[in-house]
Formats: sequence, structure tokens, C-alpha cells
Amino acid sequence: MDALGINLNLFLAQLINFGVVVGLLWWLLYKPVTRMLNERTARIEASLRDADQVKQQLANAKRDYEAEIARARQEAAGIVAQAQERARAQEAEIVAQARREADRLREEARAQAALEREQMLRGAKNQIAELVTLTASRVLDAELKAAGHDKLIAESLAALDRRN
Amino acid sequence: MEGLNLIATALAIGLAAIGPGIGVGIIVAGALQAMGRNPEMENTLVQYMFIGIAFTEALAIFGLVISFMIAFGVIQ
Amino acid sequence: MSGRMRTLVVVVVLLAVAVLSRFFLYSGDPHVEVAPEELFAIGGFSVTNSLFTALLVDIILVVVALLATRNMQLVPRGVQNVMEMIVEALYNLFRNLSPKFINQVFPLAASIFLFVLVSNWLGLIPGGSSIGVCHAAGEEHSARLALVREGEYAGAIRFAPAAAEGDNPYTTCPSGYTLVPWLRPPSTDLNFTLALGLLSFVFFEYWGFRTLGIGYLKKFFNLNGVMSFVGIIEFISEIMKPISLALRLFGNIFAGEVLIAVLTFLVPLALPMPIYGFEIFVGFIQALVFALLTVAFLTIATTSHEGEHHGDEHGSAARAH
Repeated sequence: MDALGINLNLFLAQLINFGVVVGLLWWLLYKPVTRMLNERTARIEASLRDADQVKQQLANAKRDYEAEIARARQEAAGIVAQAQERARAQEAEIVAQARREADRLREEARAQAALEREQMLRGAKNQIAELVTLTASRVLDAELKAAGHDKLIAESLAALDRRN
Repeated sequence: MEGLNLIATALAIGLAAIGPGIGVGIIVAGALQAMGRNPEMENTLVQYMFIGIAFTEALAIFGLVISFMIAFGVIQ
Repeated sequence: MSGRMRTLVVVVVLLAVAVLSRFFLYSGDPHVEVAPEELFAIGGFSVTNSLFTALLVDIILVVVALLATRNMQLVPRGVQNVMEMIVEALYNLFRNLSPKFINQVFPLAASIFLFVLVSNWLGLIPGGSSIGVCHAAGEEHSARLALVREGEYAGAIRFAPAAAEGDNPYTTCPSGYTLVPWLRPPSTDLNFTLALGLLSFVFFEYWGFRTLGIGYLKKFFNLNGVMSFVGIIEFISEIMKPISLALRLFGNIFAGEVLIAVLTFLVPLALPMPIYGFEIFVGFIQALVFALLTVAFLTIATTSHEGEHHGDEHGSAARAH
């Protein structure tokens, strides 16, 4: 044992020395380093979680935005369709009104024309009757001398009426 | 130093190196084969390979220590 | 000049330097001592160079730890970043082996790794084994290599029981004194490796008992036929665990030191360089293996053997040491 250098004192000295080193390193190195590593791992995990959350939020926002856009587009399309509908209805109404107006005007014109013709006819008839009466009276004045004068006029008028 | 001691020194380490030499060869061959077949296990395999080598090599080291003891007159 | 040509030229030049240095440089006797040597004594307690280096390693580790955690930032920089990477890598490594007891075993295993790693690499600092104090050479000094310079065996390498330092022109120690280097990695001191092995052993036995209760002993002592013999073998292998841990570390690192010393003694330049690279690797692997084995033994000790007969992986692991 002596030749190998094994010596109880030295053995114990080395044992104690190494024990002290283990303690020192534990206290000075492993604890702080492990704590730091754990802290960093926790931090990285938290950041990753945050990033996930942010990504999720971003996706949500995008989805909302797209939904909103789609709805707006749909709404706009609805409004346009409605407007077109209304415009078409209005157009139809206007056209109908115009047609009605035109019809009315035409009707009025026709009625007026008819009336005028009537009046004209009536005037002409009277004039003709008068003329006929006048002429006849002149011609027959001498012969008839007021005999059956009025009766003749009425007969002529009736004849005119029949002819008409 | 006497001649017998010299012979003993040489024989101690020389004979002790035969077996572990073969053993280490087998271990490394097996580990390399395993690594070739399964490269993603490499880290674990290297670890176990070194542990295996350490066990095997210990025998050679015993022989070496004995040979030192003879050479330096610790045992005579 | 192509890349291959350049490599070739570099290799040839290095080899030439190596060969020339063999003849023109004298690197001094290699310092090979199994036992740690005493540097000085404090009140009867002798402080060996390995204990001194262990204190140095303490200081280095504590200073690095302080630097790393002095001003901790959420975004790490510099020393903090490096230490965090190391601690995290070790944590993941050990968690793979022992997910249940990682928080209990981590401080011990990580300290073993860091301490042994720094200790192993301190031994590789050039000059570490050649700068020191002169001590009176005692009788019990163990053998070392020396070059025979006179007589009919001049030029041969000789195993001298104790080389006289006075023969060595490259040391300033007077005749009759030997050089004791300041630095000697604690891993090459059996006191340290045994202390480490014992600490690891006590740790995993404690957790084995605490997890499995008195049933833990059933693995070793039982009375059902063949299993009782297996239990005895398991018991012996369990006792051998700390010893094998200690000897593995000691053998590897000490052998590396001896290899470098002898190679430097034989060929002073160029040739030891690749060995240095290899020893850096070995120092790392041995530190890792010691820590990993502590965790693995803890897992084995805290796994119940009731009912499950996967004696295969376990038995082979136990038998290997």
C-alpha cells in the first residue's frame, strides 16, 4: 500500500476536498445554471404560446374581416338589386302614367273632336234647315201664305234627321 | 531490474490486452452496425458504447496496473 | 504544390526533426512515480503534489463557476454560454441513463466529470512534470528509466531503481536530490481515484437501499437454489465496482502520463505530439466514463430484480469488472 502511495490521511484529504468541490459547484454552478435554463425554457414556452395566441387572434381578425367584407358585399348587392327593382318599378309606373296621360289626352282630343263635329253638324243642320226653310218660304210664300208653314219646317227637319 | 520481472511486466499487460482488444472490437462493431441501421439512435448508442468499452477496457487496465506494480517494484 | 504533397513534406520534416532530436537533445529522465510525492508538510501533514493540484483544480472550477454565474443574462454570452452548454449537455446525457434520479445524481456526476476532466488535462500541460522542487532522494524511491551514458551499455535504456538526479544535466537539483514536480493530476493518485470511487459507491448504495428498502439485499443474499450463488457473485462484483472505477481512471491517466514521459525520453520532439492529442481524448473519455458509470450503477442499484429476469444486460455488466 505504501509503495502505491495509498495513505489514509491523503485519502481523507482528497475525499473531503472533492466533497467540498461538489458542494461548491452545486451552490455556485448547478443551481444558478439550472434555474437560468428553466427560466429560459419557461420564457421560450411562454413566447411560443404568446405567438400562437397572436397568430390565432390574427386568424380570427382576418376571418372576421373577411366575413364583414362578404356581408358588406352581399348587402351592397342587395341594395343595388333593391335599387334596380325600385327603379324598374318606378320606370314602369312612369311609363304607365305616361301611357295613361296619353290615353287621356287622346280620349279628350277624340271627345273634343266628336263634340266639335256634333256641334258643327248641328250648326250645319240648323243652317241648312234655316236655308231650306228660307228658300222654301221664299219659293212658297206666294202660294202658301203661311198655311202649314210650321208644319213644313218640322217635316223637313224630320226628313233631315232620317237621312242622317 | 531482474529479467523475470521484465518478462512478468510485459506478459501482464500483453496478455491482459488480448481479450479486451477483441471485446472492444466487437462492441464498436455492434454499435456501428446499430448506428448504420438506426442513425437517429446515434447519441444513445455512443453513450452505451462508451460504457461498454469502459467495462471491457477495465480488464486491460487491471493488467496494466499489475504490470506497473511489477515494473516499479510494488510487488516482487 | 498539391495538398497531398504538402502533407507528405510536413510529415517527412517532422520525422527528420524527431530522428535528429533523438541524437542531439537530451530530455531528462522521465518522471514516473506511482505514489504521489510530498511537496511540503504543514504541521506533520504532508501535502503531496497531487493534493496540491487537486486544490488548483478546485480553484479553477470555482473561479469558472463564479465567472459563469456572476452576471447571468437571459441571452448567454462568453463563459456563461459555455458553462450552460456543458451543464445542459451533461444533464441531458445523465437523464437518458437515469430519468428517475437525475436530480439526485446530477450534482455528483457532473462534479466528477468536471473535476476529473480538468485534472486530466492539467497533467497534459507541458512542463507540468518537469517543473518542481528538489527534495532529498529517499531510499524508497521507485524505479525510473534512465539512459546509460558510460560503460559497455552506453546508449541503452536502463531501468534504474532510483536515478540519481545528479547524472541529469538538465536539472538544477544537486546530486542526491530528486525533482518533485508541482503538478501531478489527481487522477494519477490512487488516493484520489479511490476516494472518488468510494464516494460514488456510497452514493449509489445509499439510493439503492433508500429506493428498494431492505429488499435491496435480496439481490445478494437469498436462499433459492442457484440464485444464491449468483447473489454471491453479484456481491463480489458490487464490492469490485468502486475499485474498478478507481483503477480504470488511475490506469488510463497514469498510463498516458508514462507513455508521454517515455516517448519524450526516447524521441524528444514531434513524436509525442499525436500522443498528446490522444491523451486529451482519453482524459475526456475517462472523465465522462466515470460520471456515466456512476449514473449507470445508480440505475442498476435502484432497479428492482423482483420478477424480471433480465439478468442478461445486468449480468454481463456486473461480470465485466
